[in-house]
Amino acid sequence: MNSSIPPSAAEYGGDEVSAIVLDPGYSTTRAGFAGEDTPKSLIPTSYGKYSLDGHEKLIFGDDVFVTPRPGLSVHNPMGKDGIVEDWDMAEKLWEYSFTSRLTGAKPGNPLQNGLNDISEGDMAAEMEGVESSEDRPLADSPFLMSEPGWNPAKAREKTIEIAMEKWGTPAFYLARNGVLAAFAAGKASALVVDVGASNISVTPVHDGMILKRGVQHSPLGGDYISSQIRALFKSNSPQPITITPHYLISSKTAVDAGQPPQAKYKTFPPEKAPDASYRNLLEERTLSEFKECVVQVWPGPNKLSALGPNGVSNEEVARGTPGRPFEFPDGYNQVFGADRYRVVESLFDAKAAIPDPDSAFPAPTQAQTVPELIKNALNGVDVDIRPHLLANVVVTGASSLLYGFTDRLNQELMQTYPGPRVRISAPGNTAERRFGSWIGGSILASLGTFHQMWISKKEYDEHGPNIVEKRCK
Amino acid sequence: MAAADVRDMLDLPAEGQPRPHKKQKVVEKRPEGITRELFALLGERAPPIAISENRYKGRPKWMSKLRVRPWRMTPFSNSARSDGLILNHWQRQPEVSKAPALEGPAMEVDGPKEEENTPQALGQESLFAKYNIKARVPRHYTDEEYNRHLKNDDWSRQETDYLVDLVEEYDLRWVVIADRYDFQPQPVDAEANTGALVPAKRVRTMEQMKGRYYFVSASMLALEHPPSEMSEAEFDLHEKMMKFDADRERARKELAALQLNRTADEVREESILLEELKRITASEQEFINDRRELYTRLEVPVSVGNTTMYQSSQGLSQLLQTLLQADKTKKRRSILGAEAGAAASPASQTPTSNAPTNARDSRAGTPSTVAAAAAAAAGGAAGGPTNKKAIAAAAAAANKEAQQATKTLTATEESRYGVQHHERLAPGVQFRSDRAQKLTQAKSNVQTQKLAGALAELEVPLRLVMPTERVCKGFEKLIHSVNLLLDARKVAEKVESEIRVLEASRDAREAKDKDKEKPVKTEQQDDQLPPESTDTAAAANGTTTSTAGGDKNSAGDADSKAVEAPSTSQKRSASVLSNGSDKSSKRQRK
Repeated sequence: MNSSIPPSAAEYGGDEVSAIVLDPGYSTTRAGFAGEDTPKSLIPTSYGKYSLDGHEKLIFGDDVFVTPRPGLSVHNPMGKDGIVEDWDMAEKLWEYSFTSRLTGAKPGNPLQNGLNDISEGDMAAEMEGVESSEDRPLADSPFLMSEPGWNPAKAREKTIEIAMEKWGTPAFYLARNGVLAAFAAGKASALVVDVGASNISVTPVHDGMILKRGVQHSPLGGDYISSQIRALFKSNSPQPITITPHYLISSKTAVDAGQPPQAKYKTFPPEKAPDASYRNLLEERTLSEFKECVVQVWPGPNKLSALGPNGVSNEEVARGTPGRPFEFPDGYNQVFGADRYRVVESLFDAKAAIPDPDSAFPAPTQAQTVPELIKNALNGVDVDIRPHLLANVVVTGASSLLYGFTDRLNQELMQTYPGPRVRISAPGNTAERRFGSWIGGSILASLGTFHQMWISKKEYDEHGPNIVEKRCK
Repeated sequence: MAAADVRDMLDLPAEGQPRPHKKQKVVEKRPEGITRELFALLGERAPPIAISENRYKGRPKWMSKLRVRPWRMTPFSNSARSDGLILNHWQRQPEVSKAPALEGPAMEVDGPKEEENTPQALGQESLFAKYNIKARVPRHYTDEEYNRHLKNDDWSRQETDYLVDLVEEYDLRWVVIADRYDFQPQPVDAEANTGALVPAKRVRTMEQMKGRYYFVSASMLALEHPPSEMSEAEFDLHEKMMKFDADRERARKELAALQLNRTADEVREESILLEELKRITASEQEFINDRRELYTRLEVPVSVGNTTMYQSSQGLSQLLQTLLQADKTKKRRSILGAEAGAAASPASQTPTSNAPTNARDSRAGTPSTVAAAAAAAAGGAAGGPTNKKAIAAAAAAANKEAQQATKTLTATEESRYGVQHHERLAPGVQFRSDRAQKLTQAKSNVQTQKLAGALAELEVPLRLVMPTERVCKGFEKLIHSVNLLLDARKVAEKVESEIRVLEASRDAREAKDKDKEKPVKTEQQDDQLPPESTDTAAAANGTTTSTAGGDKNSAGDADSKAVEAPSTSQKRSASVLSNGSDKSSKRQRK
């Protein structure tokens, strides 16, 4: 292929307008240019807040993990159900997500860049005039954002308001992340199972539109699994395991498995110590490492507590599998056997949840488990498309990367629906699974046929924020 | 400073030897138009070593002459949009450009900006505008039309409007429409005052929506064009929409839900049943194929020829001749296939459908088809002796089939239709009359004649007039008893002749004693002869003479004498027989 000849637009239907795609999640916020295959900018949705010399300072991006500043507290603008709670901070965070890597720093106003000395009075006068659309971070990029399927109308209107008025985007669109994940899998109709940090959501998508009555979500996401792991650590048999994040450890020596850790800890005086939320954030990082390395979903065919196909208890079989070692930041290490199956079993079987009275998560109900969510979602849509949806189950979200998750889901669906063909489409590529809805947005926003879908600034001015309800169906 | 000056200064000889040398080399300068390499090959010198350079092969030369066509961020608008949103995308500059390319960066910055907002640049139509298609929905009704044609107790005007708008908005995607359907009836003030009851939010099913919409849509279609004037497609659509049956649709969906929610056992059972069904249908096909093949084998080709020509004996013999001919050619059969064999017989115009069978076993098949055709044509006439086997096989097959077919006949029916069962069939075709005829042929000619005589006496024709089964049976019996009688008479005659010999010897002895008793004996024998035939008398005389002539003549001699006279008529032998029979009866009486 000759690189000097442009691909004809009809070949792939693409027509880039250098749009920016933002996919805000509870755990991370993804932003990047449409038409690329991974988001260029990936930042944690949590931000740090501390006060220095009486001024409140904010830390965005990965920097939040690095320095345990005195009084540093970590916050998340998103609510537990994936809906924005703190709009001011969400706006700042999102703005950071694309300005830090994508739009870059504009050549600043020469009056402001500090190289030109101007008397105070002049500067103020100039500022008024210069304040124009050129200053807006998104002045020359159409902007596509994703939202959960249950996003209330108020939140949607607020979003378009921010994008149009604060960021000055010429064109905006708000797409459901379920639809986008289906697009990323190359499907216009699909049943999207999104296992995120705070939520598991099941979204039936038909012809690129969600079926609202079928949308289901439950809080049994990655954070719930973390709480289950904590509960497991508390009831660990040789001794309860406490997670000490790296920032609290100055040195450690290797110990044998199961032996108490031998490490020197850092101590912070109370006035210099960061907030508890900071420690919590770093503990979560260790826990997600634990999830990646150790945790495994019982692959089926039956529940972990039930009997296997050959009459042997599944737990017995699980105990027979070789364990997986894990070393904590303080040097404590242990081999995890059948327990590593138990922490995620409650995603499929509510009764298998490890009880923990201290946990922020109430004990799950059976209706919150993944198979039940799918069942309810299917019952919410027309019976004619149910078999088609079952044949197009798209699994996305970083927590779905749990080892054996799709196998188990497949087993559960086959058991619940023995008749129709069940087919799960889950990309094996980690990035594609983590950024499924962003990739779908990237595809969508770079399509030539999407040009007519954008809500332009003019339309917004004409109809007000309510237009998002009419256009982004 | 020229070289000459230097030479002068150094006192060197002016323009010496080296010059001509150099000149020589210059002479070899290659002429125009020949490359150096080619020129080097011309002389006796060895060709120069080609030095190949590894060089990056860039774009071809002619391309470097082209001007670089820059890509520009170009604004464009999409005509599918009503608001004239201008977006930018990278686009290659068109080939022909009035401005010279290299004008410096300053120009480049300004250049596009100037064009940017001219309508010409914006006139660039987006390629994708053509994909902006909306579903065709019928014209919206007016108030009057609604009141006249579309009123419905179940659906208010507002709700109908809402539904029609929704359908248009979602392009008839009923799944989405049913999902998003959320009609909030706006309470009319007057109603609110009187009733004060908020109408309960009704849940509309997709079928209800479809039913209503199709009704509205079909009515609008019919209003636009009366059904009599509709085009075919329109009429079809109208019919389809008018015939929409919500109840049936609902029942179908219930069934679909049942089908979806089957248990694993049901699914397993169904799959087993399906498997079984598949097996059955597969083997059924096999069975049908087998049966068809069998039929094609068994089927006697239907003769389409005229059979009247074979009704006469002449025709039959002609057929026999042709069959013989065919068989002779068959003896040399190698390449002569089914067609040749079939063509040999004028009667066997075999249907072509039999050709494959014939071709497959040309040896066995062809004669049998020929013979079968012949047999069918002749209605059971005589087969040629050489072809007999084949004919018999065909006949046997036909017989067997007939037997199978008539298994259910009762005894009376069997007798009525002349059905018979054979333990074992002799090979070849036989005629019943032939068999009857054969019975009249004894081993010896004399015996045959005697039989014929006996039959003549009984006034039974030698060739049966009507050789039915029963007649043949009777004839057989008759022949059998005649044979018995003949045997008995033979024995009787023997005994009698012995007696005579003995008497003669006694007479001779007595004659020796007293010679006069002899004539009385001859008279006695003459009396016994029937008076009507003179021939018999003569024969009797012969016999008597012979017996009288030599007393050493035995009964066997008499027999041989009869052989010596084969031309003796039937009547005589018949009389002899009757004579014998009378005698035997007399003997029996004794």
